[in-house]
Amino acid sequence: MSPVFAIALNTFRETVRDRVLYAFFVFACSITVLGILLGSLSVGQDIRIIEDIGLAVIAIIGGIISVFAGTNLVYKELERRTIYVIFTKPVSSWQFICGKYLGLVGCIFVVVLAMGLFLLGLIWMVEPSHHVAQVPLLGASLGLVFLELLFVLALATFFSTFSNPIMSVVFTISLWFIGHLGGSLLDLSKMSTNAAVQQLLSSLYWCLPDLAQLTRIRSVLMYGREPSQEIIIYMLAYVFAYIFFLLGLASTVNERREFP
Amino acid sequence: MTGNVIEARGLSKDRVSSFLLRRSPILDGLSLSVKQGETYGLLGPNGAGKTTTVKILVGLMRPDRGEALVLGEKAGAQSALRKIGFLPENPYFYSHLTGLEFLEFIGQLFGLKKTELRDRVKQLLELVSMTVDADKPMRKYSKGMLQRLGIAQSLINDPEVVFWDEPMSGLDPIGRRDVRKILLDLKARGKTIFFNSHLLPDVSDVCDRVGVLAKGKLVAEDEIKNIVHSGGHKDLEEYFLEKVGG
Ligand SMILES: Nc1ncnc2c1ncn2[C@@H]1O[C@H](COP(=O)(O)OP(=O)(O)OP(=O)(O)O)[C@@H](O)[C@H]1O
Ligand SMILES: [Mg+2]
Repeated sequence: MSPVFAIALNTFRETVRDRVLYAFFVFACSITVLGILLGSLSVGQDIRIIEDIGLAVIAIIGGIISVFAGTNLVYKELERRTIYVIFTKPVSSWQFICGKYLGLVGCIFVVVLAMGLFLLGLIWMVEPSHHVAQVPLLGASLGLVFLELLFVLALATFFSTFSNPIMSVVFTISLWFIGHLGGSLLDLSKMSTNAAVQQLLSSLYWCLPDLAQLTRIRSVLMYGREPSQEIIIYMLAYVFAYIFFLLGLASTVNERREFP
Repeated sequence: MTGNVIEARGLSKDRVSSFLLRRSPILDGLSLSVKQGETYGLLGPNGAGKTTTVKILVGLMRPDRGEALVLGEKAGAQSALRKIGFLPENPYFYSHLTGLEFLEFIGQLFGLKKTELRDRVKQLLELVSMTVDADKPMRKYSKGMLQRLGIAQSLINDPEVVFWDEPMSGLDPIGRRDVRKILLDLKARGKTIFFNSHLLPDVSDVCDRVGVLAKGKLVAEDEIKNIVHSGGHKDLEEYFLEKVGG
């Protein structure tokens, strides 16, 4: 078994066995149910609203779990001094970062899947005749949420390699938020008359993540249409390239690190 | 090749305090070498720099000046790490892993195959008398149990050289006897052993040679047989106290 897989499995076990995760899960489920109960008081409720509430909750709770688990990732190993054991074994920095990241990805996958199934169950309970044909669309929306969480996890992993959890949380959430502003930075740079400011803003735009596409695809899905293939491919390529970039950077930073 | 398994030349390490970035030395020009098959004990008062020395030798820290070689490779190089075992100073744990899972995890880092790994883990658990508790999560272990597990993980790759930072700390008398036995067995198999300890009688029992570190400098180094038999010292303790000026 390769070190990457070993570290991933270890991280997965450590995270999945943590009770906090279940607390979040139960919390997410109850909020969704509550939202639906409150919503069903209004007349003519559309099943789509249930879906929207459910997906939003999954995205938010998944995001919270990703941010917290991700930012604690390396810190916990440092604090518990398990890092001494790992880095005195023939494990490269890249293998370590990759393994940690993949372990968390596995964990988030399970969380998203479980919450997604719960949502599906709810939908069927509310309207048994509905769906089946709609399931792929819900699946696609969940996939989109998962893709975004992959990105958030990479951000959190990156920051956790060199800063403490609190700062990492702040950095991760800020960049995630900035990612959603997306093109506005570019628009802003076009509006400016000062060439230097323009340059600065547009170069910032090129470095910072742009997640606006994700939102766009999501809204397309929301209206029950299929987004175009190009957009999907572009988005996948963009997110994965960014993830690779972040993890590569993280392992370079980690490589130079000492563990006193 | 000099024939030395461990070779440190002029190792220096400074601590940079956050206040005004003042530097004060933790290690100051430390040189030592350990031959193949030798058991070397590094002694010294608290804060002398023993742990720092070991951390440099296993690549967790880099010296500011000087160089450290292990098995002819730069300390911390992957090829050197394959052939060494390291026991850190303090107990450490994964909250949600069992002792057994932990050892398997460490074995997997070396790429051990499944059946080989299972046998090795079983054998090591027996060696450190942890078979009964192997399925408990590590957060429920006592300090001594973590220490035993730590010793077991340091041997998973059947290393050529072991670096043990206070292997006896936290162990009960039976545990200490077991560790002494493990040490003597490793020694009989021709392994090179480098360890720190404050328990001088144990050191005196198993070591071939000791070095005394004080304030980051090696202030004395001699073979045990010279110290105890012909050196005019009653025991290692007297020698130690004389050298560190206690
Ligand atoms: N994490 C750290 N950050 C800053 N300074 C440290 C750190 N760890 C150790 N030091 C300093 O380095 C010096 C040497 O410490 P070291 O741990 O190597 O001593 P030691 O000989 O192992 O002591 P002990 O017998 O107590 O284990 C000490 O003065 C200590 O204050
Ligand atoms: Mg020490």
